[in-house]
This record gives sequence, C-alpha cells and structure tokens, in this order.
Amino acid sequence: MSASIARQRAAAGRNRPWCDDEALLGRMLLAPAVIYITALVGFPFFLAIFYSLSDATVGSTTLHFVGLRNYEGILQDPTFWRSLQNAIVFTLISQALVVVLGKILAMALYGDFRGKWLVRLLILLPWVAPMSLGSIGWLWIFDPVYSIINWSARALHIFGPEIWPVWLGQPDLAMASVILVDVWRLLPLATVIILAGLSAIPQDIHDAAQVDGAGFWRHLFMINIPLVMPIMLVALLFGIVFTFTDMIVIFVLTRGGPFDTTQVIASYSFFTGVQGGDLAAGAAISLFLFPVLAAVAVVFLTLARRAEVA
Amino acid sequence: MSDGIKSVLTPAESQEETQQIHGVSRRQFVHAAGAAGLAASVGPFILPRSARAAGKTLKILQWAHFVPAYDKWFDNEYTRRWGEKNDTQVIVDHVGIPAINSRAAAEVSAQKGHDLFMFLWPAPTYETQVIDHSEIYQECERKHGKAIDLAVKSTYNPKTRKYFGFSDSFVPDPVNYRIDLWGEAGMEKGPASWDDVLKVGRKIKDKRNIPVGIGLSAELDTAMAMRTSLYAFGGSVQDQQGRVTLDSKRTLEAVKFVQALRKETMTPEVLAWDASSNNRALLAGKLSLCLNAISTTRAAENEKLPIADQLGLTKALRGPVRAIGLEHVMDCYVIWNFAENKEGAKKFLVDYIDDFLDGFKASQYYNFPCFPKTVPDLPKMLAADPHMPRGKYSVRGDVLNWATNVGYPGYANAAVDEIFNTWVINTMFAKAASGAMSPEAAIKEADTKCKAIFAKWQAKKLV
Repeated sequence: MSASIARQRAAAGRNRPWCDDEALLGRMLLAPAVIYITALVGFPFFLAIFYSLSDATVGSTTLHFVGLRNYEGILQDPTFWRSLQNAIVFTLISQALVVVLGKILAMALYGDFRGKWLVRLLILLPWVAPMSLGSIGWLWIFDPVYSIINWSARALHIFGPEIWPVWLGQPDLAMASVILVDVWRLLPLATVIILAGLSAIPQDIHDAAQVDGAGFWRHLFMINIPLVMPIMLVALLFGIVFTFTDMIVIFVLTRGGPFDTTQVIASYSFFTGVQGGDLAAGAAISLFLFPVLAAVAVVFLTLARRAEVA
Repeated sequence: MSDGIKSVLTPAESQEETQQIHGVSRRQFVHAAGAAGLAASVGPFILPRSARAAGKTLKILQWAHFVPAYDKWFDNEYTRRWGEKNDTQVIVDHVGIPAINSRAAAEVSAQKGHDLFMFLWPAPTYETQVIDHSEIYQECERKHGKAIDLAVKSTYNPKTRKYFGFSDSFVPDPVNYRIDLWGEAGMEKGPASWDDVLKVGRKIKDKRNIPVGIGLSAELDTAMAMRTSLYAFGGSVQDQQGRVTLDSKRTLEAVKFVQALRKETMTPEVLAWDASSNNRALLAGKLSLCLNAISTTRAAENEKLPIADQLGLTKALRGPVRAIGLEHVMDCYVIWNFAENKEGAKKFLVDYIDDFLDGFKASQYYNFPCFPKTVPDLPKMLAADPHMPRGKYSVRGDVLNWATNVGYPGYANAAVDEIFNTWVINTMFAKAASGAMSPEAAIKEADTKCKAIFAKWQAKKLV
C-alpha cells in the first residue's frame, strides 16, 4: 500500500509543473541577482585586472601583455599617492561625521512629536535625489561669484567686506566642501539604518533602565549604542564603500582640483583611463580600491557579528 | 473519494488550493510574470519598427554649441535639408564638453555608435579606430583651395602619414576686456602684451577691486590660456620633431610670470573654475579681462545686457618671444572604422564645407573656416557686425597670423592629446601659481609626466 502511494507521489513529482518545484524555483529567482553581480561586478573586475596588465588605451582593440609595468608607473606617480591619501582622509572624516550626526538624528526622530513624518521626509530627500543633480545644486551654492553661503553671510554681517571665501578654489576649503556634500548625501541612509536599530530594542530594556535610575548618558552609552552597534557597523560599512568609490561629488564640484588636492582614487582612475585615454593605467589605479574595500568589509562584518553574538 | 485525491497532491498543490481562494495562485503569478518578462525582452526584436524611415541613416554626435542659434540651424535646417536631398535620415545628438571623451571611449569599446563624431580638440589617441580622412581633405581642397595649416597640424600624423580627423572649423581665442576699466587705466584699446596685463591689471585690481580672470583649473579654457602664455614666452611641450622640451628656461619664465599674474592681478577663484566660469564672471562685471572665444560677447548682446557695449576684444598677447594665441576650440570630426554609413559621412563633410558660409553666419561668426575661401568676405563681414563698439570683431580678421595648434611647434599627436586631457600643463601652472610648489619643482614634475606619456605612445609607434 505504502509502495503504491510512494509510486503515486513520485509520478506526481515527475509531472509537477516547474513553477511548483521549490528548489528549481528558488534557483531561478536567485538567478537574476547572480547574473547581475557576475555581469556588472565580476566581469568588469576581471576585465580591469586584464587591462591593468596590458597596454590598453581607449583607442586600441588589440592588447599586449606588459606585466606589472602599469603598477610600477602608478607607484612612482605623486598624484596617485595624493589621491590615495585624499580618499582615506575624505572617507574617514565624512564617515565619522555621518555616524555621529546619524545617531543624533535617529535619536531625535525616535521620539514622538508633531510633524515627524515631514521631518523624516525632508531628511530622506538628499538620498532620494539623483547624486549628480544634488552635486550641481551644491556647485552653485559654492560658486565663486554667486555663492549663496557667502551672500547670506555677508548680508548677516558674519563676513566683512573683505571676506569672500572661494570654497572650491582653496585646497582646505575645497576638501571641506566635498566632505560636506558627501555627509549631506549619506546622512539619510545612516539615519534610517540606525533608526531601524533603535526601534528594534525591546521596550522593557528601556523601562528597566529607567527603574534603575539610568540617566541620559548612561542610557546612551550602556544601552542604546551597544545594542545598535551591529547595525551601526553595517551603516558605516555602506558609507565607507559608497564614499571610497564615489567620484560624482569630486567630478562635479572640483574635478580633482585645485591642482589635484581633492583628487581621489576613483576620480583619478577615471581621468587617467577615460579622459586621458590610458585605459590600462586607469584600470590599475582603480584596482587599488579593491584590497582596501575587501579588508574594510571583512573587519566590519566580523565586528558586527561579534557584537551581535555578544 | 475526496481523501483519495488529496493523498496524491503535493504540499505545494495543497497550498495552492488554499491560495486560490484569495485570488491568483503562485503558479499563475509565475506564469504571468515569466510571460511578461519574455515579452518585454523579446518584443522589441520581433515587433515591426514603424518609426524606421526609408533610405539611409546618418548619425552625428557633436557638442552643445556655445552659440545656441548654431545648433538650431544645424539640427532643424541644415541637416534636414541635406537629408532630404540625399534620401537620408540625419540624427544629430548633442553632448556637453565634459562628456565628449567618455562618449568616444564608450563608442569605441562597443564598436558601435555615430557615423560622424565631433571632438572639440584634436583626437589622435583614436587614430587606429578611425578611417584615413585624406580623401575628404583632397575633395575639399579641389573645390575650395588649401586647408589652413592649423587644421592640418591638428588632424595629421606625420609619423603614420594618416589624417586621423577632419577639421571644418576652429574658434579664435582673443582677449576679452572691459573697455571702461582699461580705458580708465589709460589703455582703451586693451592690452597688447602679457606685460600690459600684469601692470595694468594690477592697477585696475588695486583701484576697483576687479581682478583679471585667467583660469588655473582642470578645464578647457585654462588648457588653452596656459599654452598661450607658454608659447609666447618661448616654451613648449614638444619641439617640431616631437621631443619633450618642457623643462626649459623659457618655461620657467612663463611659469614665474603666471605666478606673479595670479598673485598680483587675480583671486583664488580661478583655481576652481570650469569652462564657463570666465563667461559668467565677465558678464557679472566681476572681471576686467579674460581669454575666451566670442561666446561671452555674443551672450551679452543676445541677452541685451548693459555690459555688452563695454566688452572689447583684442588679439593674442605679445610675450618676450612672440605674440601667439591658441585656437579656443578646434572642431575635429572623425569617422570611425565601425561607422555604418561611412560614405554618407564623407559626403556630408564635403557638402558641409561647400555650405560653410551658412554655418559661419549661423554661429554668429564663432566658427572660423578651415578652408578660408568658403568665407571670402570674412574681414568685411566682421567689420560690418552691427554691435557696439562697432568693428570690435575685426581684430579676429587676421587670426591665422597669431593662432596656432595644441602641440605647437609640432603636430597634435597622441602624447600631446593625453597631456592635454589629463591637464598636466594646467596643474603645473596652478601648483606654481598658488605657491603649492616652486616653479622649478612644478616644471620637473610635469616634465617627468610628459616624458612618460611620450615614451608610451612612441612604443605604440604613433608618435
């Protein structure tokens, strides 16, 4: 009897339509993501390695193997070292600001107040707007002739008649400006991620702390931050990856200037490889992003996992 | 009975029965989604393309012209007329200046794109990807006489003996200055030399707090202006034989001069400029002088700005060695090896040169002919321009006596192109002028870069 049922079930399995096969359907639904990652991340990555070992230019279709010659050239190039240093400084400062400000904003938005949805909407806007458009807006805000910051500061007598900062024309101010725009762009994402973490803390923990008489700072450092830490590290990881690989802000605002003082690895790779035509050197420069990002990802995911377990 | 049937149903099927109660089953959903995806991806290949016109197609890509009236004429009148005459649908796409190189790289990488692609500077980097354009030059020279030296030096590689582009026109780069300010300082006709710019520019800045504005940034106008001063002081990136000659006493003099010019007559804003910043600042009354094509004066006239009558033009500035200026923009059309309508593209260029007079007028005298006979009355037309001050455009009448090409005194080759597009010369001047580096160190750094770039292209046998 049972053998007959088993035979019936096996026959039913064979005749079962493909869309009812959980295993097959699972693979099929996963396939677009796998194809997407292979085509848009994996293939370009290996292509970049291939190009970096060749003499590829934008005008050539035949390549010759040149070994590590492109890497040797890059390591002797002072602009490359400047770009690497800038990328690290740019990322560290902007992410430190994003995490601190994101935490403050998330805590402010966690409480109940009138018009909360509107504030949340406004905070999310920079993330929703296309980055290139946002950067062009900032380009006008920093314009040497028409800067609204300078105009307002002068109207409010904050700047005297002799003070007119050229935001994108002085190295320190230019770096501060690109960091400011990056923070403006990434703050909403970090805020939303941290806010989700805060909302996930069970209410009884807050109640117990209150009963025990924990003040604001103790509550913050002993409860909120430790419990939100895993998710904050994920937000930080996203922020580091986005900032370290970004070139839109630099491209629109400074094009690496003044005189390469805001050049970062991603922009220098583009200017060398596409604008300058030296595809091989551009690819080699871009590959320096990989070990840094891989190391950061491993460290942060390990920390996040440990924090979660703890 | 019912129990018997249920016994052979799989768990998925049992669940489906339950789900159907609420509406669409998973099976139906997956089928529908799959069918929609298939239709979306395959549909465009099998559905009839009703939009496709009969006859041939010619696809052109060029920049969004600084004089918008030119694009209106080119897109809506000229190419339409030419298309009707030649049974061809002409499609014109425009891109901004910063997108030209990346667009070209994308087309070459895909081996697909436009039949005619216009660069705003010589593009020898792409030499192996384009046809030899000598046939087009020959046909145009047969009809209209010799092309100017500036066009040849911007599109010909003497090493490979190949024309890697075709130049229909160029744009002179005169000095734009404020007549009122320079008149007040005793120089109503504008500066004649770089020394005048330094001395009188400083005087105007001290008295009126209005600076000179010559870019020191990673952009096109700076690239032209810095080469202009370099050449006027006797320096150059290469010599006639294509050997790097940047690290020289002459270059040092030029760099030291620009350093003084920046310190005494300008503000740091020039370090942050893009290609249109000098236009905006001059029109806003914030500059006493800049180097630019006539797009600024034309914008002032077209928008009827009060400053329009106060904007004067003068010729290239004299340096210690020579008075020389660069072209501001060099139109260089290329026909890719992979272009689908090569013959149509060649014919279009030849016909366009036949009709160049119309293009010259449509560009409001911005585009100058590379075949001078196509605009025989050029000096007269410039003199007759009705805008005030009368005759200001006449200074461009003898432009060929003072304008030269990128790569002077040699040809524009692939190494010169890469140096131009990676802003090596701009950065050298900016580093020294801002005090970030000594002039000597900035020149050494740029010279090392130039030599590495030349060596690379020499190894490819293109230089």
